[in-house]
Formats: sequence, C-alpha cells, structure tokens
Amino acid sequence: MHTLELTVNGQRHKVEVGLKTTLLEVLRDKLHITSPKVGCNTGDCGTCSVLLDGVLVRSCITNALSVQGKSVTTLEGITEPGDIHPLQKAFHEHYGSQCGFCTPGMILASKALLDVNPSPTRDEVKEALSGNLCRCTGYVKIIDSVLAAADEMKG
Amino acid sequence: MAEGEFYRAASPREAAGLLAQHGGAARVLAGGTDLMVAVNKRKFKPQVLIYLGDAGMSGISQEGEALLIGAATPLNEILASPLVADKAPLLATAIKQMASPAIRNAGTIGGNLANASPAADTATPLLVLGASLKLVGANGEREVPLAEFFTGPGQSVLAADEIIAQVKVPAQSAEAKWAYRKVGKRKAQSLSVVSVAIYCPLSGGKVGGAAIALGAVAPTPLLATEAAGLLNGKALDEATIAAAAKAAAEATSPIDDARGTAWYRKRASEAVVKQLLTELAG
Amino acid sequence: MSKVIGQRVTRYDGMAHVTGETKFVDDQVVPGTLTVKALRSPVSKGKIKNLDISAAEKMPGVAGIITAADVPCNAFGLVPDQPVLVNEDIRYRGEAIAAVAAVDEDAAMEALEKIGLDIEEQQAVLDPLEAMKEGAPQVRPEGNLQIWDGHDYRQVNLGDVDKAFEQADEIVESTHLHPSVEHAPMEPICSLAVPHAGPKLTIYTVSQALYFHLGMLCGILQMEPGSVHCKQWKAKTGSSWRHNTGYADLNYVGGTVGGGFGGKNDIMADHVAALLALKTGRPCKWRWTRAEDLLYSTFRGAWHITIKDAVTKQGRIIGRQMTSIRDAGSYASLNPYVVEKHCYLGAGPYFIPNVRVRGYCVYTNKPPASSMRGFGITPAAFATEVQMDQIADRLGMDPWEVRLTNAFRKGEYTPTKRVLGSVAMIEVLQNLAAKAGVELPGHLQAMASTQERG
Repeated sequence: MHTLELTVNGQRHKVEVGLKTTLLEVLRDKLHITSPKVGCNTGDCGTCSVLLDGVLVRSCITNALSVQGKSVTTLEGITEPGDIHPLQKAFHEHYGSQCGFCTPGMILASKALLDVNPSPTRDEVKEALSGNLCRCTGYVKIIDSVLAAADEMKG
Repeated sequence: MAEGEFYRAASPREAAGLLAQHGGAARVLAGGTDLMVAVNKRKFKPQVLIYLGDAGMSGISQEGEALLIGAATPLNEILASPLVADKAPLLATAIKQMASPAIRNAGTIGGNLANASPAADTATPLLVLGASLKLVGANGEREVPLAEFFTGPGQSVLAADEIIAQVKVPAQSAEAKWAYRKVGKRKAQSLSVVSVAIYCPLSGGKVGGAAIALGAVAPTPLLATEAAGLLNGKALDEATIAAAAKAAAEATSPIDDARGTAWYRKRASEAVVKQLLTELAG
Repeated sequence: MSKVIGQRVTRYDGMAHVTGETKFVDDQVVPGTLTVKALRSPVSKGKIKNLDISAAEKMPGVAGIITAADVPCNAFGLVPDQPVLVNEDIRYRGEAIAAVAAVDEDAAMEALEKIGLDIEEQQAVLDPLEAMKEGAPQVRPEGNLQIWDGHDYRQVNLGDVDKAFEQADEIVESTHLHPSVEHAPMEPICSLAVPHAGPKLTIYTVSQALYFHLGMLCGILQMEPGSVHCKQWKAKTGSSWRHNTGYADLNYVGGTVGGGFGGKNDIMADHVAALLALKTGRPCKWRWTRAEDLLYSTFRGAWHITIKDAVTKQGRIIGRQMTSIRDAGSYASLNPYVVEKHCYLGAGPYFIPNVRVRGYCVYTNKPPASSMRGFGITPAAFATEVQMDQIADRLGMDPWEVRLTNAFRKGEYTPTKRVLGSVAMIEVLQNLAAKAGVELPGHLQAMASTQERG
C-alpha cells in the first residue's frame, strides 16, 4: 500500500491506497463522502465529477496517487457548513434536480463554468455541461438553473 | 495482493529509464483518461506506474516560428493557449470537439497520440500541419514525423522504453486556409465516425502544399497524399474539389464497427472532404 | 382554493439533492459490507452440466457463494417463471448462475474465475418472428407464446372488421418496427442487504415497486408475508411509515431512486444480496456495473406492429386490424401486462366501430424485457399516429383533418366498450394547432367533443 495525502473540502487526510485505487474510491469508500457517485466508472457519465485544485475532473478515472498533495472539492465543500451556494438555491428553485443522482456532478460542472465565465450564454452552459448526463430532466431546467444562479451571483 | 510501484518521474529520460528497467509490467500515466478506464474495466492490472505529471513535460512554447507542446499538456490547456490560437487554430478547433470539459482537463495530447487509435482526434490536424514528435528513450532521443508514427490500430513506432516527450508543429503559411469536421453519433463525448482535417495554403488563388487527413476510416489516422496532390497547382473549383474528394474516399479502408459501417464511412469521407473544400473555396 | 394546484411547490427532497445529502442505496455505509459479483452465462441457451464452487469457496477473502440450491423458492415474478439463479436451463446470455460475496471486488472477481462451469450449449432463438414458427427452439417448457384464455395472443374484438374491409373505399396498411430501449437511469442497479437478529434482514433497494417486490421477496425467501414491514426512506429527514405487524422478518427500505422510468419494476439484485447476507451473516452489497445494467437489466422490449385500416373517402376509419408482436425476452416479467395495455389502447384516441387487435407476447433467448414509460402504450401510439399520417397521405387529406375527423366524441366508446363521458381530443388538437401556428380551416375549427358526429 502507498500513503496518499490530500486535502478534501478544506480538511487534510492521509489514506492508504493501492496502485489502481481511484480518487472516487478514496472519497466514497475511505472518507465516506458520498455525493460523487459511481454511475459508470469509465468517465462517461459525469456523476463522479469533482474539482481538483479548482479544475473539473472525473474522479472515477483519476488515479489516487496522482493527486498526491492536491486539493479536492466535492459538492459538500462548495460553501461553508450551513451556507447555501447560489447554484444550490437555483437548482432547487428552478427544478434542476429530479432524482438527484446527477446533481452533485452537475452543480460542480456549473461552478467550474461560472468560476471562469460569470456571464455564460445558453450555448456556453450547454458546452460546459456536455460531459454530465441526466436522464430525468431533459436538461432545460438545469440550464435555466445555471443561468439563474449566474444572474444572482452577478448581484 | 501485489502493491506495485508508483514513480514520479522528474524528466522524460527518467521515465524512459524506468520503462526500460521494469519492462512490460510498467505503464506511464499522465491524465489517465484511457489507462484508468482500462484498469477499471479490468482489462489490465498495473504493476508499475510511472507518473508524468511532474516530469517537465507540460507547457506550450515557441522555437522560432514553430510551436512546441509538451506531451503531458492537458488538452484544455492547449485549447486555451493564445500561442496555439495564433499558430495552430486548426488543432484548437479539433480539441474543442473532443470528449467533454472534464476529460479535456486531464487527458493529454501525448496520451491521445501514444494510444494510436485510428480515430485519435489530435492526429488528423497534426498530420496536415506536418507535426513531428520527440521520442525519448532510455539511451537517447529521436524526432519522428507524425506521418511515420502510426503503424496500425493501437500501434506505433514507440519502442518499449520510449515515450512521446514533445509535439512540434512547424511554422504555418500565413496564406493557408484550413478546415475541420468531426462526424460523431453525438456532439460531445463521441468517438469519431469520420473526421477530416484540411490544410490548404494558397498563393495567387492556387493551392500549393495542401494536406488532407482523415480519422476513423483506416487502420491508422490517414494522410490522403494523392488526394491532396490533386489540389496542388489548381484553383479550388468544383471539378478539382470533386476529384480530390473522390480520391480521398478511395484512400480509405474503413471497417464496420459499433459506431458506423464501412459503407457509410466511405461515403461520409467523400462528402465531408467535398463540403470542407467547398467552404474553403468561399 | 387549492394549496397546491396552480402554486409553485418545491420538492421536499430538493434541498437534500442539491447539498448532496440525499443517500442512494450505494451511499449507505454499513461497516463490514461485502462486495457481491455474479457469474453470468456466456451463452444464450444451454444446460448446465456441471457447476463446481468448491475451489472458489476456498479463495482468500470469500465469505460465501450461492447457487440455485441456496434459494428457498427459486421462482418469482407476477407470473412466477423466473429463477433467482439458474437451475439447469440457461435462457439468456448474462443470466446469473452463481453469486459470490467477498471482502472486495478483486477477491470476488478472482473467486468467480475459479468456479467450474460446464455448459451444453443449445440452439437459441433471438428473433421473435422466428420464435413464433413451428419447430423453433423452445425458450420455456410452456412454449414461446404467452397464453390468454386458451389463445396464444391477447385479443380485443369489436364489431365486424371483415365487413368493414368490404365496405371500405381504401385499405391502408403499414408495418412498424419499434426497437428495444434501455432506460439507462443514472443510478445503476444496486442492492444492500443487512442481516440482524431481529428483524432478520434489512434490504436497501432501488425498487420502484416496493409492495410488488416485498411480496415477491417473501416468496423467494419463504418469509411470512404478514411479518414484514416496508419503510419509505425519505431523502433528508429519515421519517418513515410502516405497517405495524409485530415481529418483522424483512425490513424493506426504499423510495429514493436514482431514476427508474420503469426499469426498476423488477427484482434484479435484492434477492441475491439478501440470500448472501443470510448465508454469510454479513452485510452484502451488489452494485451492478454500467455494462451489466445496459446489457442485463430490464428494458422496453421491441415491437413489430402491423396496422390495416378500412377507410372511407372522407377519412373515417371504419375498421382497424392491428397485430402486435412483443419481443419479451426469456421470462414473463411484466410483458403480459404490457401487451394487454397495448391492446386496449391500440385504436388510439379515435372512434373506430370495428376493431380486431391481437397482441402476441413472444419469448426469445434474451434478457427479459419489462416496463418503460407507458407500459406498452407508447409504441402503440407511435404506430397508430404514423398510420394516421399514412391515411392522410393516401387520401390526399390534411393530417389534422384525419385526426379531428376520427377523434372521440362524448358518449362514444373504446374498443373495450368503455363509454366515454368526457373527452377533449378535438379541443386539444385545436389548441395544439394554434400553438404551432397552424390555421385550421373553419369546419375543423367548428368541431367540438360535445357535438354528435356529423
């Protein structure tokens, strides 16, 4: 086993991993952070998406040892405990979530977009979320939610 | 359960040395967007991993008028680079249609090329731009034109101890027009069914030094040299375009697979080459 | 007025979804949970000649392995024809033959490789039209066709279709092929079974049909149906309701589903997880891979639908004959129910006084098909609406006019003789035309559901 040190949602951790352990396995199985999901385990569906040093990645195909010393943010960590991020509020109020399974990945992909592009067009939102699949909503209300959050964040 | 070794190579030479040392049990790892998929599908179990993220193989720079791209540079970094936008916009256009944002944040240009898929999306633009690769081995290095790199589906000239360290894109003609189209079953996250890249320098309304490349229609990414040759010295008129498109399709040897039939790919190759050349003619 | 109708109502589980608090089956953390993997048949049809788990059982990390012999009642379903694990006869490629519970995925997969399996492969039938022919390989002992009231089809008969064909100005026929469709919910099939002293077993399930499956599981596990309780597991508050029936053997916990669409209306993993939990005395989780889910979970089966209509010059359909063949896969599952619903609604929202619908539920050596959004009606609607356009085309009529002409009026009846007291097909079409920017001619605009047919 190898020792992996990483920061998750602001907290430092030290865990034992194997050569083929994925970041998703570290988060879910070792740290019991369950918002990133196992949807496909091949990097195709986006439900495992997390932010790695602020950049959107697929934790299911991220080799755990390759993130030595890095910082991971999951949905649980996008705000301070007790606070609600405008994206969370928007997805709730605009019905951007139905079954909820794609929602953590969707919100993180949306955050990754708004972090670099605070005024996206509808097409830019679609492009940014093109790696996150949803089988329930048909995407329209998800895009509405992101644009609503962008509006609120511009103040 | 065997633990295996995880090395963080500090340079391409060190990585190559480790490959030589460990032989078939070792794999290099950058973004992992192909390797880890295979691991998760249990297609193979890594014994030794050589991580390239800290090996000084990332980044984009210039050498004279040529563009140098580190092989471990993530695709999105290449997409966002002003240097690439200026010197190789065709490459940026192709990358923008690859996979999805999260995959592009991790996947690298070196990984895409080394995997040697006949559908590799960075291959077709780089082929028409005349790119070459710096291959580093345990005991030396060599430069190989990309046109000589691929030898079969998933196969290349890489020796067991070699890695791609850098991609070099030579200076482009200021008068060159270019075009790219990817045909896939979806707009994003789609393996190419057919992809076409065209590079078309023009001088006094006549083509000189054109290149046409097609992906996913042959055992390797394909440079259709005969077809491109039919354009040289000519204006882009309807007859010239039709002849080149036909020749390009004839150069392909597609197969039936999960994404499309050989029948479709032959026809799509001709149609897309024709569409793109017609657009370039303006 | 209403507190709900016309008001914006936010989801009770919305906040839990957007904060990541919502726990799906795979998110339940129970210490000591074993990983389950199944040995699946490599062939579409065959007989198991030898199944030897002795070497696999001794592999490191293996806590237990089950085969058909471990299943108290190895037949389940609304029509109880499906085994939990194959007895002897394999009916589809991918069918589960044995299941292993081990400390992790690697141990489970290595154990699977050590299971000795000898199969005598047999000729399979994969095409429903082939399966209907004399001499086709038999998918099940009862034959390849579901039987209803002594017929090998479900039928709906009204009036005299043959006479309508004689009287018709035109006969319009069309054939429609509707492919199978996979729901592909974002959450793959998953089940977690936790054994305890009492109640004996808690199962966390992705089931969309808690009561259907509760009863079936009691049958499989041979537990008293009166001594179970069903807990609806709310996303955030954990509040629940339960039948208070005293000592419960089975605590069935569900209701938070990561997408179903009809694809979680069958038991696929709960029974295996439960049996391994009971055998090993440890919590057992069976999470299907995406590949398993795409290949082996239930899906909407394919249809072959032929419609033959007797039509007047004015566009009235005076007779319809519809023959529908449903590819059910290898087990009944919900297919007979799907075929029934398909047949009842085969005429569509149109008044057709002479109808003959026959629905065939045909078995093939493929994974069982089941429900999906519409339960058999959506493919019928697809076929009948295309047929309406074909009629319009043949008669040189406007497709709106063909539909409005045939739409139900108040007081008319369906092919199953259900008299309709309140219908609005005409008004819906008129509304739709307005929204689509289509100006309907005066005589169509003047139609109303409450008017007698002219």
